[in-house]
Amino acid sequence: MFHPATVRIVGIEMTSYWGAVPQTEAVAKVRNLLEGLQPGEGDLLEALHRIQHHFGWVPKEAIPGVAQHLRLPPARVYGAITYYSEFRETPPPETLVSWCSGPSCFLKGGLHIREVLERMTGCALGENTPDNKLGLHLGQCNGTCDNAPQVWVDGKVVGPLTAADTVDLVKKLKEGQRP
Amino acid sequence: MPNYAELSAQVEPNRRRLAAEDRPRIAVCIDTSSIAVGALETLANIRGAVQAAGLDVDVDQVGGNGMSFANPVVEVAAPGGQRILYQHVKPADAAEFVQAVLVRREASNQWTLGAVGGSADGVPPMSDQPWYALQDRRLMAEMGLADPENVDDYVARGAYSGLARALSMTQEEVIAEVSGSKVGGRGGSFFPVGRKWDFLRTSPTNPKAIVCNADEGDGGAWVNRMTIENDPHALIEGMAIAGYAAGAVRGYIYIREEYPLGFERISKAVEQAEARGIIGPSVLGTETAFDLKVVRGAGSYVCGEESGLIASIEDGRGMPKIRPPFPAASGVYGQGSNVNNVQSYHTAGWVMRHGVEEYVEVGTERNPGTMMFTISGSVSRVGCFELPMGTTVRQLFEVCGGGAPNGHAFKALQPGGPLLGIMPDWSLDLGMEPENFREKGMGSLGGGGFVMLDDHDCIVDLCAQYEWFLEDESCGRCTTCHGGTQRATEILRRIQRGGGRESDIGKIRLLSATLRYSNCFHGQFATTVIANALDWFADEVNEHIHQRRCRAQKCAGLIKYEANRAAASQPEHADAMARANEVCINAVTGASDGACLDCFVCHELLPDVVTIQDRFEANVGPAPELISVQPAER
Repeated sequence: MFHPATVRIVGIEMTSYWGAVPQTEAVAKVRNLLEGLQPGEGDLLEALHRIQHHFGWVPKEAIPGVAQHLRLPPARVYGAITYYSEFRETPPPETLVSWCSGPSCFLKGGLHIREVLERMTGCALGENTPDNKLGLHLGQCNGTCDNAPQVWVDGKVVGPLTAADTVDLVKKLKEGQRP
Repeated sequence: MPNYAELSAQVEPNRRRLAAEDRPRIAVCIDTSSIAVGALETLANIRGAVQAAGLDVDVDQVGGNGMSFANPVVEVAAPGGQRILYQHVKPADAAEFVQAVLVRREASNQWTLGAVGGSADGVPPMSDQPWYALQDRRLMAEMGLADPENVDDYVARGAYSGLARALSMTQEEVIAEVSGSKVGGRGGSFFPVGRKWDFLRTSPTNPKAIVCNADEGDGGAWVNRMTIENDPHALIEGMAIAGYAAGAVRGYIYIREEYPLGFERISKAVEQAEARGIIGPSVLGTETAFDLKVVRGAGSYVCGEESGLIASIEDGRGMPKIRPPFPAASGVYGQGSNVNNVQSYHTAGWVMRHGVEEYVEVGTERNPGTMMFTISGSVSRVGCFELPMGTTVRQLFEVCGGGAPNGHAFKALQPGGPLLGIMPDWSLDLGMEPENFREKGMGSLGGGGFVMLDDHDCIVDLCAQYEWFLEDESCGRCTTCHGGTQRATEILRRIQRGGGRESDIGKIRLLSATLRYSNCFHGQFATTVIANALDWFADEVNEHIHQRRCRAQKCAGLIKYEANRAAASQPEHADAMARANEVCINAVTGASDGACLDCFVCHELLPDVVTIQDRFEANVGPAPELISVQPAER
């Protein structure tokens, strides 16, 4: 369904935006990934999720293809990528540690865990180590509060943690081991 | 397309399997909470053990039942109708568990929790447990029984009978029935759901859309996740009923990114419901059409605000819109839309399935029915409980939650996320109804995600954390919000470092007053927590500002760690000392030339040796005043 509201929002002839899309392998792949998605159907987030799932991040060169497919200005696609905390514009680290920012974790000593994570990796939340082995991420409560305080190592809940446990955890992760 | 009678006739094999009529059935509760403690491995190991023992037993995955504290939970049902719940069945225990329960037939063992629906095999009934007996599990009745990835299981349990009943009534009758139940918006607004549906029904827009807000961003709340993961068809049924009642043919479920399992399950449920002809061009064989689309968010708290959610669905940044127009007049892509929380649809569906007379049997006169609550923080039993409206917070906290652990005393209640404030100990005696909370100056009852604080928690510390979170999640449209939350965070952080000033209180009050002019709830209520802290925890806040002391010893800038070297050399501390040396951040990172980083690790391991002291001398008076601007009284 191509809904008139979309046109109203954009307000100008949009084809001019998409003139020169570089024809690389990644762009061709993006085109495949977008199959079945429609303009005016609320599919932008789904498109970006698919791209991130495939590449691990949303490469800049994917933007024109998405914009063209969904009849949106590229700025709008870029705006969405930067607005949502789950989309990344750079390659992900090999291991991503998400720190839960929820109140239950916080009350049970979550800040100490965060401090240990940041001190031992040398990164702030949202950053990766220079060798891209380990990265920290600000996670939002997923309601597994019986394991508070916790972190998620590549999406897997690890908890309840003490500060000392976290030191051991980061040591292990740095050596390439899994919790 | 089949009608409801044909549909339910097809699922006889599922009904027999669920009731364990032919052979015993082991059901392992699988949801995000139980997966976190290894329930998937438990399920796999039980399957392996059953196969190895050559037993004629069904082993199924079922949804979680809300007993997070008991996970992994396993239910064993026998053909005689006995159903026994077992708790903490760890992956390593699986083989022994199968031997004990199915081979040696010892129903009472180390894992036994209780028997559902009356005692069985010498196991006392679940209703002997006060935290279970207090509950009235209506919405949660189907949770933990059927496989959320199998629509037939739910049809066998009676799903979609409410939809079939609604379709046999007129739109007005459906709305009258939902209105009669007085069910209010369960996201926290408690706006009458029936009236909201009627706004959309009478709205002149065409087409119309039904939108489900499953962006449960409030920390410590997972009531919506319970429904989505463990009874997804209840949500679909509720939305389809709303679609029929309001004349909408399109539905959107906006689910947050942090619930990957929920997304997977609701997507699968929608797909299966379409394949069965339950929804789609012909709902249950009638002329009515209803399509559902699942939209997955990407990590933005403010998308839980209804217009932010709509903006997010409409291909873009989830920034709340300026109203009017209201969603009923112009919502998703200009369609008139009705936005409700997951539990609102779930509850309305329950009303249609069981009838309004049964719904109003429990609860209070003005708020009949039940509501699901999750409790976390300082409680002994973390979990999701369903209680009649009007039950006191004390009963939820003491009976269901088992009180504060480790002898701590209750200090404060934080109901429903950072925007809803914080209440002191008298909140325990409030009945859980929105009116009671509004009387005390709270916005509402909230969405049911209660976080409890005890006397070891610091109010200022929590305020600073919440303010920082709200600053981080502000969409940036209103200067009042993005600037105000930033300023509030700075002030609180400064107080936490020992730089509190007399004028800070006035500044915070001014910020609160100014933030009211923001466009959406996020800004309008961003300083509620601090405002409550000033009203109800004034002593504690003043102590932070004037005496530079944190009574809970949590604010990092107001405490210091002191090591008792003589005690450290005592032989009983040798092991802990060795461990402390091993994990000392200083030693690990080689940072800051050996000076202590105040990182908490050694205090945690050696609480008697490394003690926490106040950093500043008591009664030093207020810190020097740098800016002497006093805000005008408002």
